[in-house]
Amino acid sequence: MRDRTLKYLLVAPAVLVVAATAVWPLFESLRLSTYAGRLSRPDFPQAFVGADQYTWAFFEEPAFWNSVWVTGVYTVVTVVLTTAFALAFALLLAPGGRFRSGVQSLLILPFAMSPALIGVSFRFMFNPEFGLFDAVLTGIIPGIGDINWLADPVWSFWVLVAADVWGWIPFLTLVLIGGLASIPRETQEAAQVDGASGWRVFKDVTVPQLLPVLAVVIILKAIFSLKTFDLVFMLTNGGPGNATQTLSHYVYFNGFKYAEFGYASAVAWLMVIPMLVLTYFYARFVFDRR
Amino acid sequence: MTPRTRRRLLVMLQHIAIVLFILVMMVPIIWIALAAFKRHVDVYQLKLLFTPVLDNFSRVFAEPYNLGEKLFNSTVVAAVTVLLAIPVATAAAYAFSRFRLRAQTFLLAIILATQFVPAVVIVLPFFVMYRDLGLLDTLTGLIIVNLAIVMPFAIWMIKGFIDGIPIDTEEAALVDGSSRLQVIRNIVLPMAAPGLVTAGIFCFIIAWNEFLFALILTSKDAVTLPVGLALFKAEEGDLWNLMAAAGIIIMVPMFVLALIIRRHFVQGMTMGAVR
Repeated sequence: MRDRTLKYLLVAPAVLVVAATAVWPLFESLRLSTYAGRLSRPDFPQAFVGADQYTWAFFEEPAFWNSVWVTGVYTVVTVVLTTAFALAFALLLAPGGRFRSGVQSLLILPFAMSPALIGVSFRFMFNPEFGLFDAVLTGIIPGIGDINWLADPVWSFWVLVAADVWGWIPFLTLVLIGGLASIPRETQEAAQVDGASGWRVFKDVTVPQLLPVLAVVIILKAIFSLKTFDLVFMLTNGGPGNATQTLSHYVYFNGFKYAEFGYASAVAWLMVIPMLVLTYFYARFVFDRR
Repeated sequence: MTPRTRRRLLVMLQHIAIVLFILVMMVPIIWIALAAFKRHVDVYQLKLLFTPVLDNFSRVFAEPYNLGEKLFNSTVVAAVTVLLAIPVATAAAYAFSRFRLRAQTFLLAIILATQFVPAVVIVLPFFVMYRDLGLLDTLTGLIIVNLAIVMPFAIWMIKGFIDGIPIDTEEAALVDGSSRLQVIRNIVLPMAAPGLVTAGIFCFIIAWNEFLFALILTSKDAVTLPVGLALFKAEEGDLWNLMAAAGIIIMVPMFVLALIIRRHFVQGMTMGAVR
């Protein structure tokens, strides 16, 4: 067989699988979003309503804006905190030494843990009666009193953030250790010889060279934060009330609890748009590398 | 303070910081793991010393929880997903790596982008389709949607490995009269084998931990382990010791697999954007 035909035969199955399992649902949910679709009724999907469900989300549903707000704040906070902590730990671990390889192995573990299970674990740790973190925090911080973490709209949000940051720090740390290792040592040493302080070397030499790697992990983390579902479902289930309801959870609730399938599809599609923007930037980094 | 003692002090502080960091990272895992060996009463106290018991494990496998069924489902779904995805992805990865295709960059970008589509967007149409086809609550249905999340990773990861194999031996064999398929079978596959295993393990972990699809598309017969955790949210409150025992069964096998491929984790997750 000629290579010219063979190469397309080799790609065809994979392209078909991706088209059928990822591209098709994307367009099908766009179509569904223009129909009034109550799943519980046999004549699903019902009348064509055009963009009505989008305008409904925008103008008639405070709960939609609530989840946009929650998701937005959640994304910004988790991205900033995860990156900051990971950068600190990467700098700490970068010099190497006895610990490094063992530490790197340990760091894989939280990342191999199912997010649903992380949610369970944190719910356990923040239990107001016998949770370990609850006990430690009330011990360290005087006057914090008895907090029922997950029943409080503000605290439950921060517990969610803590669980997410905890789960993602290892991955980002590992990426940044790799990034730091690829910076030629000479540039840092040259700056030191020229009399620059440790902080100046970090700010003016290390960070600029680390920027491409930092950009990649920040975009990647932002994408995963925007999508967050498993953790929310297991840890707070969007509550109390809808204080921690992210967009994914809002779509899930409307689609499968209220059976408002058309509306859920419309909101799901609104989620796709910021994702496409982030993916565009991510793809540019991936392709520039080659 | 002499510069030497100052340096020592700094190194010591650094070590303390590393130990603290590791402690914080490991506590949630260790604490839930300990709970799996505690009796019901011990869970509700902050005890470090307790008599370990194995009852929780026998209870989760017994009625009414039947965790064995979920373990079976998770294993089958993850294994079949990987066995389907890896050969298909390898074929595509080889073509992307060695040939110029029409719309190559476009195709690769689409494959990359599908990885980032929220699972909740994908699951809505699949739910309607499965309802009509009777595929709800079946392992087959779950395997099909799992391919959606696993394929892009597999293609990009394996392409990265094949890109790293020198092309010379292949060209020499082609000149000597081997066909392209012979070259793939006799030269490329053996050299890419470690990479294929790595990608397979990586995808296995992703499929094993997958939650949203299983939550929505299964209800009784095809429930997987992560969704099975919800079984232990009883009316009288969460059954923490049982939940923890199930947690051990979910996480320990993944820990072992993750350690095997730990050097490739970063590359896999970033699809080669960071090596």
